[in-house]
Amino acid sequence: MADDKILIIMTSGPDTPRRCATPFFFATLATAMDYEVTMFFTIDGTLLLKKGLADTVYPKAGGKSAGEFMREAIEAGVKMTACSASLELHDLKPEDLIPEAKIVGGASMWQMAEESKTVLTF
Amino acid sequence: MAIIRGCNLPEDLYYYPEKHLWLKPLGGNLFRVGLTPIAGKLAGGKLNAVTVRAKNIGAEVQQGKSVATLESSKYVGPVPAPITGIVKRGNDRLASDPDLVITDPYGEGWVVEMEATKWDEEKAALLTGAEGLAEYEKKLEAAGISCA
Repeated sequence: MADDKILIIMTSGPDTPRRCATPFFFATLATAMDYEVTMFFTIDGTLLLKKGLADTVYPKAGGKSAGEFMREAIEAGVKMTACSASLELHDLKPEDLIPEAKIVGGASMWQMAEESKTVLTF
Repeated sequence: MAIIRGCNLPEDLYYYPEKHLWLKPLGGNLFRVGLTPIAGKLAGGKLNAVTVRAKNIGAEVQQGKSVATLESSKYVGPVPAPITGIVKRGNDRLASDPDLVITDPYGEGWVVEMEATKWDEEKAALLTGAEGLAEYEKKLEAAGISCA
């Protein structure tokens, strides 16, 4: 049973690789503190959920890919949600996303924010 | 002192093999908790931060729940409580020198001290002594883990 909920809103995507590691790292860290963590991907963040794309994004040259950071977060129990409108923005279909991503509407984001003790935006 | 698969694992400590933690009885129900060299190796060998959760100090934490976190460039994860008990204090030195957990795991690198509240029922699952270490060795062998 988790202590509290945390919501991380991810708006950064492949155009800004250096912004694509820390949000996942912080999410994984929060699960290690027994928080229940959800990431909500919108704007360009949603692109990171496109199958295979995060594996081509390197926050640091020679380091781990954003895909590796994301998989660690998923393995630690972080829930991944994608904003339905942002799929349209990038001409993505639900089947283009990794299977762990759950597509939700914008109102779900407000609901998750309301239920969370802390909301972080990247 | 025993060297098991290249890992220094003193016989007089208790071990929580699921997360490679050690416990040292300090008298009464008080125990000091730290990471074995195995946990240090799995965490990437060099830590950037070890943080004891402040809100747990003075509170009872259930076995398996997080009492601290480890951060390295390769790894991030919890230090779960190896026993149920009240967290009495964390090791303040780790704030400025987190790598003590790796470089001096059984000395200055301890993580928390806990007062056990379910010791009698939980101690059976912990490993200790020559027999316990033999069992630990089997687990390490099965998982393909060594400190070499």
